[in-house]
Formats: sequence, C-alpha cells, structure tokens
Amino acid sequence: MREDERVHSLLSPRTLLTRTVAAVALLVAIMILCSLVGTQNVSLRAALAGPGSPTAPNPDYEILLHVRIPRIILAAIVGAALAGAGAVFQAVLRNPLADPYILGVSSGAGLGAMLAVVSGVHWTLWGRSPIAVFAFIGALGTVWLVWTIGRITGRFHVTGLLLAGVVVNAFFSAIIMFLTSIARSQDVYATVFWLMGNMAEEDPFVLWASAGCVAAGLVGLFFISAPLNVISFGQTDAQSMGIHVERVQFIALAVSSLITAVAVSLSGLIGFVGLIVPHAVRLVLGPDHRQLLPLSSVMGAVFLVVADTIARRVVAPAQLPVGVITAMIGGPFFLILLMRYNRRVYWLS
Amino acid sequence: MRRWSLLLASLVVWIIVGYAFLRPGHVGAVVRKPGAPHATRIVSMAPNLTEILYALGLGENVVATTSDSDYPPQAASKPSVGSFWLPDIEAVIGGRPDLIVTLDIPQQRSLTSRLKRMGYPCLAVSIWTVDELFRAVETIGQATERQAQAQTLVCGIRTDIERLARALTERDRPRVLWVVQREPLRVAGRNTFINELIELAGGQNAIGPTLHKYPPVGAEQVIAANVEVIVEPAMSGGNLAEQHRQALAYWGRLPHVPAVAHGRIYVIDPDTVSRLSPRLYQGIESIAACLWPDDAGG
Repeated sequence: MREDERVHSLLSPRTLLTRTVAAVALLVAIMILCSLVGTQNVSLRAALAGPGSPTAPNPDYEILLHVRIPRIILAAIVGAALAGAGAVFQAVLRNPLADPYILGVSSGAGLGAMLAVVSGVHWTLWGRSPIAVFAFIGALGTVWLVWTIGRITGRFHVTGLLLAGVVVNAFFSAIIMFLTSIARSQDVYATVFWLMGNMAEEDPFVLWASAGCVAAGLVGLFFISAPLNVISFGQTDAQSMGIHVERVQFIALAVSSLITAVAVSLSGLIGFVGLIVPHAVRLVLGPDHRQLLPLSSVMGAVFLVVADTIARRVVAPAQLPVGVITAMIGGPFFLILLMRYNRRVYWLS
Repeated sequence: MRRWSLLLASLVVWIIVGYAFLRPGHVGAVVRKPGAPHATRIVSMAPNLTEILYALGLGENVVATTSDSDYPPQAASKPSVGSFWLPDIEAVIGGRPDLIVTLDIPQQRSLTSRLKRMGYPCLAVSIWTVDELFRAVETIGQATERQAQAQTLVCGIRTDIERLARALTERDRPRVLWVVQREPLRVAGRNTFINELIELAGGQNAIGPTLHKYPPVGAEQVIAANVEVIVEPAMSGGNLAEQHRQALAYWGRLPHVPAVAHGRIYVIDPDTVSRLSPRLYQGIESIAACLWPDDAGG
C-alpha cells in the first residue's frame, strides 16, 4: 500500500504523457461511438454522400454533421471545463465539497439568464441568445463580487470566500425566486429548463471559440498545477516554501471561473460533473494536480458526452435534461469508486 | 510570464482563424428553395398548432407532431418529435419537412433559429390571446395556401362568439374564480387567455389585477373577492366526478363564500380550455355552461 502511494507521489513526465494520451484516445473513441447513436437511424454511408441538393437534401448528412457532431463537441467542451475547474476549486478552497459553482457562478448565471428573459431583450451575438450572454456576465460578475468580499474578510481568506459564496448564492437565488414569481410563467419555464442544463448543437464558430477559451484556460491551470499541489496541503506551508499563495489562488480562481462561465453560457447549469469527476480521478490515480488537471478534464469530457448521449436517446423522442443523467449515473458510480478505493480517501480528511 | 503571453497569443490567433473560416453565415447548410408551391411535409411543434393545421385541412401533410398533440385523435398516431418544450431536433429533420410551424415562445426560439440556420423554412407564430389565435390561423393559412379555409375558420368562431355575446347582454356578469392549482391555491389572473375566455362566456374574473399572471391567493382574498362561481379544469387523465368530490371537500372550509354556499363549484374537462386552438368556442361554451347552468344548451 505504502509503495503504491509512493509511486503516485512520484509522477514521471512519461507516465503523465502516457495516461493523458490514453485518456484522449478514449475520448475520441467515445465521441465517434456516440455520434452513431441517436433517435434517428443515421447511416454513415448515406451521410458521407454529402449535403445533397437544395430540392433533395440529405437528412442523414444534416443530422450527423449539423446536429450530432456539434452537440457531442459541445458536451466535450463543457465536460472538460467543468471537471477541470472543479479540480482546481477543490484544491484552492481545500474543500472536497467544492465544485465550479460554489463561488456563486450558478446563481450569478441564473440571475443573468432571468434578467435576460424578464427584460425581454431580443438579439443574438454570433447566434448566441441574450440568455447565454447575460448568464456569462452574471457568472463572472458574481465570482468577482465574492472574491472582493473574500479579500476584505482577510488575507488567508478561503473560509471567507466560501462563506461569501454561500451567502451571495443564497441572496441571488432569492432574487431569482422573486423574479420567477412575477415573470410571465412561460418565460420562467424557459429559464428553468435553460438552467437545468440544456444541450443543443451550436454554431461552429461558437464551438470553435469556446473550445479555444476552455483549452487555453486548462493549459493555464496546468501551468500552476505544481504550486497548487503545495497549496492544497496548507497555505502556511506554501508560503514558507516561497509560493505567492494569493497570486496562485487568484489565477486559479479567475481562470477556472472563466472557463466555468463559458461552459454555463453554452449549456446552463450541469451539476455533478465538476464535483465527482475530479474526485473519481483522484481516487483512482492520486492527488497530484499535474496529472489530476488534464485527466479530470478529459474524463469530464468523456463523462458528459456519454451522459448526453443517454439523455437524448433513453426516452426518445422525448429528451431528458442532461443533469438528470449526470446525477443518476454519476452518483452511484462515484459511490462505488469511493468504496472500492476508500484507502485513498486520506486526501478528503 | 512568457508562457502566459504565448498562451494568450495562441488563443487570439485561434479565434481569428476560427472567425475567418467559421463565422456565422460562412459555413451554411443547403438553402432550400421552395420546391412545391405549398408545403407538403409539415412538422407541428405544439398541440394547438397541430389542431390549426388539421382544421385547415392539412392533416394529410402533417408528418410529425409533438407528443402532446392529442387532437384530433388521428394526430396522436403521427410520429412524435418529443415534447414542445424539449423537442428532438433529429426527429424534426428525420421527418424531411418543408415547413416547420413553431410557437414564438422562448423554449422554441432556439430550435427555430437552429433549424433556420440549417436552411429549413420555419414559421413561428405567437398565440397568447384570442386575437393572436385568429392572426396565427390566418398566417398559417397564408403560408400553406389555405387562405380561404383560414377565413372560414376564423369567421365561424367569431360568429359563434358574437352570437353568445348577444344572448348574454343585459345579464349580470358572475364573478368567477378560475383555479389552476389547489394546494397552494393558484388562480388565473387578468392577463391570461383564461380571463378572456371567462369574459367571452359572460363572466368576470373575481380576482382583480395582480402582479402575477397566475397569482397565488389566500383564503382572505377569496372571501374578499365575493366569488360566485368556482371553476377548476380537471387534472388531465383524471376522473371528473372524483375531482369534483375533492374540490367540494377542499372548498368546504370556506362555507360563506357565495360560490360554496350555493354549490356552484364546477370541475370541467381541461381539453378545450388548456390551449388556444380552433376549439376555442367549445371551451367558451363549457365555461358558459358553468356560469349559466339553467339555460344549458341554449
């Protein structure tokens, strides 16, 4: 057992590379597999015949290229962002219950979405509805507010941050409830379903830009994964080892909030991915953030792609909100991992 | 610091490259030219739209509907595209439609814009009020070259409504409480199509203007509103007699409300009053039957 743990603490670049490549290969395989699953029977051969002519379009091509593949890519982007951000939040806040929404992203995005609906604005930015844009701004604004409050509460402000996050979440949720009760009911349903997490295929440019932002964010977080290892053991230790704790914390929270906000503006609030995927990877492969970050992101993408495929297939042609599947499958799966690998739960204590 | 600048620079380049090659409108789908003079394969995205299409004689051309499209009965056997609030876009495309009729509501706006982006002809109509229903029928009639049928349909409903209105002039308008949900109590407010139906049936909403569309109300407001008739649309699929018994038991706690004292509590079939559809007049009639029980049928 000891031997096993020692191996994990000494992560060689080679092991890291092998594992990452294996995970990415798994992701690609899963994405290809999932693109063949859907409510309509799409034949790959028919799809390869091209878009067809204006009078006789090729539905197989359209479904595969314009619906399924964009949606699967979207799920991968969102899953990677949430799981990567979740791993960082858990490290910086040194709290196993932390997830990407803990500092108010969820209620901030919800409030933004609600305001977009209530104010009745109608425009699109690169095919994005005002809901998505307002949610993005709301999410980032709220994290900034929480960070500022946390700063005021003290220098080592993890507890202050968490409490500020909880209170701001509760306060904004109350405002959302208030708006819910006065808004037109149909609009409210739209927002509620949007918030429950919704996956829809997106414009190619939106996917491209979001993928770029999330990938850049994850690479940025990887840059600070070594200091994060030290910080997750305690701020005082980190300080004494010459690490600029506050600066690392700021970068970590800012970047992970940014990619979370991108994810939320793409698909609403999808729970559980950011909480359990990092834990699962940590339980199985150990807590080193240099490995935890890339692998959590890739496995988060795998998890959400699979969950979304189930969500759009299982009660076809009705569609389930993907959050239902992430919790229903992710929860039990995580508990099994927890029992199987409980010897490594030391990190959680 | 250098690697951060490098990262940021790569991101900027990435986005610029994406914008150059992928920006909206740049990679388009096949733009369909109207092949046939009028739509022959129509997908309906809401139960009341399905009813309108059938009423215009387009039942044959409807290739798929939402799962809650239960009227006319033969609509229920059409392929389903999921619920109207969480539709399955693959099933919509799989129907190879040349017209998709959607509601102009937030849940469907994104679907509509996605389908339009792929080049599918979409027609979004807004149906919140009786007037909008008439306009929607005409719009759909125009898009499907069924103008005459649309005219006849709208005129028929208007004539029925006017006849009823003439029969009901001179009468006092009973104060109606429209119960949407019993626990907690929620009723229809003024700014709803139910309010319009109540007024067209010769009643008036017992609840005054409220902040909410479907306001939650307390016993105090019900007593103060001096409610003369209580109408509850039944829960779908429920037994009317059983729900009527439950309603009597519930309202028994307010015995001094005129509606309760005079036993004027009605549970009605929700079918025609839950959506604005060509069966509008049947809905109004079923409400009128509660308000004027003595001259039922007249």
